Amino acid sequence: RACSDGKPAKFQPPPKPVIIDKQKQREERRFLSPEFIPPRGRTDPLKFYIERKDMIQRRKVFNIPEFYVGHVLAVTTADPHANGKTNRFVGICIQRGGKGLGATFVLRNVIEDQGVEICYELYSPRIQAIEVLKLEKRLDDNLMYLRDALPEYSTFDVNMKPVSRLHHEDIPVNKLQVRMKPKPWSKRWERPKYNVKGIKFELPEEKMKEAQKWSQPWLEFDMLREYDTSKIEEKIWKEVSEELKK
Amino acid sequence: MMPIWTKSGKKHAVTLLKVQDCHVLKYISKEESGAKTSKLLVGGKNGSPFFKSESAMEIFKEAGVPRKQKVTTFNVTDDALVKPGTPLYAAHFRPGQFVDVTAKTIGKGFQGVMKRWGFKGQPASHGQTKTHRRPGAISTNKAAKVYRGKKMPGKMGNIYRTALGLKVWRINTKHDIIYVNGSVPGHTNCLVKVKDSKLATYKDCNKNPPFPTFFADGDEELPEDLYDEEVFQFTDPSVTYA
Repeated sequence: RACSDGKPAKFQPPPKPVIIDKQKQREERRFLSPEFIPPRGRTDPLKFYIERKDMIQRRKVFNIPEFYVGHVLAVTTADPHANGKTNRFVGICIQRGGKGLGATFVLRNVIEDQGVEICYELYSPRIQAIEVLKLEKRLDDNLMYLRDALPEYSTFDVNMKPVSRLHHEDIPVNKLQVRMKPKPWSKRWERPKYNVKGIKFELPEEKMKEAQKWSQPWLEFDMLREYDTSKIEEKIWKEVSEELKK
Repeated sequence: MMPIWTKSGKKHAVTLLKVQDCHVLKYISKEESGAKTSKLLVGGKNGSPFFKSESAMEIFKEAGVPRKQKVTTFNVTDDALVKPGTPLYAAHFRPGQFVDVTAKTIGKGFQGVMKRWGFKGQPASHGQTKTHRRPGAISTNKAAKVYRGKKMPGKMGNIYRTALGLKVWRINTKHDIIYVNGSVPGHTNCLVKVKDSKLATYKDCNKNPPFPTFFADGDEELPEDLYDEEVFQFTDPSVTYA
């Protein structure tokens, strides 16, 4: 094509394609471990600040991975009475309790037909390593009902290999409905107080209706029980992430 | 209260005590008070200067110090006297020391004999008529009277009690916090008196404490955290048994 001057037009390279990296665009998932959130009470916030400093200090030296209830973890602790002085236990996390430095998590496994639950403290100096073997969230926050479920749901191979996982995907939720042993159970899991969604109840309809008699529908409207942690969480998350990056 | 771990991996529960605006208020000599040792009045947390009579405020004015919410006396030997008006800090105590903590216990109000004195009460069934938590007999026939000090229902709590022989594990000089082993009487955020232990077993446990007290404008500069030798510090790697 001839331009106005009559000379050939200068070669203009085509515009570079703009690569939109969708993975980076997705927001960085924020996870604040639940033991950082201070409980509601009349304690001085200075106490929580000092505890948080200690917790961050421990996290800098020893990596505590992000995990939820329902993950399968392998924990190695120092044990003076064991061969090689270390003790490795693999299990599914059924409960995370405690706030601050005393935060604990309970791992459950069935070894040689015997159910074993061990409660570990997250910040105990005897823990040498925590590895996440399988990442999956469950429908509930508390899997204590696995004690009354069939043992196949709590058995995990002790020499399980860690399942690989992409960092940018959300943690998958396993909508497994667990089958229970015949009643009596350790707790009446069908009652609405426990709010259990992960059990396949094979009880007759009348029993389920009778269990609903203990429901307390006014609890969700009780304003004195509200504890909105969103702003506190944001502040603490900023503080913790800044300290950990240093 | 917080957990603290030793280097051997053992866990101990620890109470945090904050030294908030403590000043020495007045010196009372042996002759004035008529006691064996001289006394020093020490004041605690700052409070509002209003709603108090002039005579009560005199002590604070002389020392040049805002009004304190709690004033206690310490029996002090003559060589350990401190000038009134000096501030006291948490670094006055050192890790490894043993300490007595006095405070007013949580008030429980008027309580029955089972909660107050730990009586066993009576059985719940098998014919008991209207008697399940009562004291039962209060004296014998021969005595023909009830002895003074008989344990009976009454107001429980809200009295001064001391927890003796508590070990100091750690001191935070920046925020003036003392980490004391075990539990301490009183509710959270209550005012507490901390003294060197009077128990005979811990008489020689204080190795070179700051004498007479720790002065902030002095020459020695302390690190932010002072730990006892056995305490596991979080900067170290995990504990291993060799």
